[in-house]
Amino acid sequence: MTLLDFARGPAIHASLIILVAGILLRLVGVLVLTRGADLSRPRDAFGNFKGYRTVFSRAWPASEFNAATVYQTAMAYIFHIATLIVVVGIVPHIEFITSLTGLSWPGLPNFIGVALGTIALVSLIALIMRRLSNPAIYNSTVGDYVTWIIVALPLVTGLMAFAHVGFRYETMLALHILSSALLFAYLPFSKLMHAFWFIFSRAQSGLAYAHKGVRI
Amino acid sequence: MSATATTQVFPSFAQVYQGLAGQIGMLREMAPQPTKSDEQRLKGAVDTLIEDTNADEAVWLESCIHCGQCTTACHYFQSMQDAKYAPMRKMDLYRRVYQREISPMRWWHRLVSKPVKLSDFEEAKELIYDSCTECGRCTMVCPMGIDTASLVHHMRSAMVAAELVPPELAALRMEQKHQGTVFGSSPDKLKEMIDTIREQAGVEIPLDKASAEVMVLSSAVDLVANGNGLLATAKIMNHLGVDWTICSDGFESANFGLLSGDMTLWKQQADPIVAAAQRVKAKTVVIAECGHAYPALRWNPMLRSGELPFEMMYMSEFLGKQAKSGKLRLKPLEQRVTFHDPCKTGRRGGAFDEPRAVLKAMDADLVEMPNNKEYNWCCGGGAGIFLLQDATELRDESFKIKIREVNETGAESVVVSCASCRLNFESGRQKNHWDKRVESLVELTAAHLIDDDESAAATSAQGAAQ
Repeated sequence: MTLLDFARGPAIHASLIILVAGILLRLVGVLVLTRGADLSRPRDAFGNFKGYRTVFSRAWPASEFNAATVYQTAMAYIFHIATLIVVVGIVPHIEFITSLTGLSWPGLPNFIGVALGTIALVSLIALIMRRLSNPAIYNSTVGDYVTWIIVALPLVTGLMAFAHVGFRYETMLALHILSSALLFAYLPFSKLMHAFWFIFSRAQSGLAYAHKGVRI
Repeated sequence: MSATATTQVFPSFAQVYQGLAGQIGMLREMAPQPTKSDEQRLKGAVDTLIEDTNADEAVWLESCIHCGQCTTACHYFQSMQDAKYAPMRKMDLYRRVYQREISPMRWWHRLVSKPVKLSDFEEAKELIYDSCTECGRCTMVCPMGIDTASLVHHMRSAMVAAELVPPELAALRMEQKHQGTVFGSSPDKLKEMIDTIREQAGVEIPLDKASAEVMVLSSAVDLVANGNGLLATAKIMNHLGVDWTICSDGFESANFGLLSGDMTLWKQQADPIVAAAQRVKAKTVVIAECGHAYPALRWNPMLRSGELPFEMMYMSEFLGKQAKSGKLRLKPLEQRVTFHDPCKTGRRGGAFDEPRAVLKAMDADLVEMPNNKEYNWCCGGGAGIFLLQDATELRDESFKIKIREVNETGAESVVVSCASCRLNFESGRQKNHWDKRVESLVELTAAHLIDDDESAAATSAQGAAQ
């Protein structure tokens, strides 16, 4: 079995199983905890439902905080959107998804894929530069840096494999798949779980404040 | 001059502040020493956190991505620019306990992390008390919407179990627990104050009526220092012709149970108020201008207020409702003012419109601060922090943000509706030789009541503020 066969086969499959099982373990493990009831009388009998707006409204910071947050928010958006399009939009990825699920859709031209991958990597570097240059603001832990590296690796190896830089193509491709497998297996046990938590966390706070007639 | 200065019966608020500052200095010496062993204190703290943690807290603890946005919102971080005051750090210790004791990954965290020690709680004391007013401004910017203030409140409960409450709060907590008073504000003191107000100002306060539509609460600041607060309240209630009373067995708004994190004491203070209101068949309970009393009573999640036969409202809400319905007519306030929303009644209470309706009834030139209502900067003195000597620098530095905000409005006066905010504003005003006046909403209202015989002349511009 070559390295590429290992990456394409057992490694990526195991990582996807860990990904799904890990996400379920963590989500269910938390969401089954009891919820403390707020017994106080709401300001407006049906006002609490307005709290769900926070799930959407918090997608961009309020203008009061613009000056301080706009750089990071913009970079984070560029990173998330570019990465997401690359993950589901380029032909080799679609072929892999098709092999697992049977679903397929037309892929993006190569040059767009490369451009988006580069944009994603540059925005990720822009974010870590800011984290490194403002230590007081970020309160960074080892986990923050490990997470950054694990997220950056698939991007770097993917771009290198495409551009035929570094080791020979098969090796680079194997490294790309292995680094993706690492990312999948790591996601449920790290702060990358925010991909799920944000919905619950925003909704909870939105409801708690809406109960008092406050829109956050 | 201002509303307070025209009344001769009691000292001005500037003097009140100086008098109270002296009393606060003595609290440190009265603080109780820990009585339990270190092991018991640590176990108590951890057990409290385990008990307090529901899915809400767990989700918030899981959600933080260390993005640093909360630092832009916190007045303490902004004024000190020190990493340790970042709001997200205030939940670090709670998260460690959560990860080892409750999280679905606890088996893993127990393998890789060190057990929590009592010294960890000792180190967290500054973050949990001195540098967090539980104002909730960081929640407004957090991309995950994490309610850090709630988590800090649970940490305060853990600190009670760990016997790590700051000396000033610990002393007042003990006083309220064992004597039922704050700064000696006993039922006798209440009666004495009511007699003084009757004799010297000629204003009647109906104490302990058998039944009344409106039950009014007072606060320690009113009773032992600032008699003008209670006097103003009485003038307004009598002027409105409200059927009201104060009950000597349930009048204290201040709740050092909630402030220190001791929820048993919170209940011990809240229960008699609820019982008194039910006994007198009150339809409305008016909470004195004491910001923390609002979450202690109106919004406390453990108080089943939906089933109570009365409504609880803050003083500013009561006044605002009267103004909106046209019952409270006021003389014009001929000056530019701005309104400071106390965290507990504003962002964490939702009483935004009512105080503004009162100022509108005075025809005041109200100019909002750049950050107002939900986004208002905390004055830095809430959640008991005004009392803490160790927090003096934090408080003084962060108040400069407030000075900037108020100065930008060009207002002559800043109106507040919370005794803690007002004391902190007064402290900041004196320390910085600030040229603004600090007014309390209830005292300002009382000074602008229109007497019936002069109501015909009231529309003329003379008379109010100067």
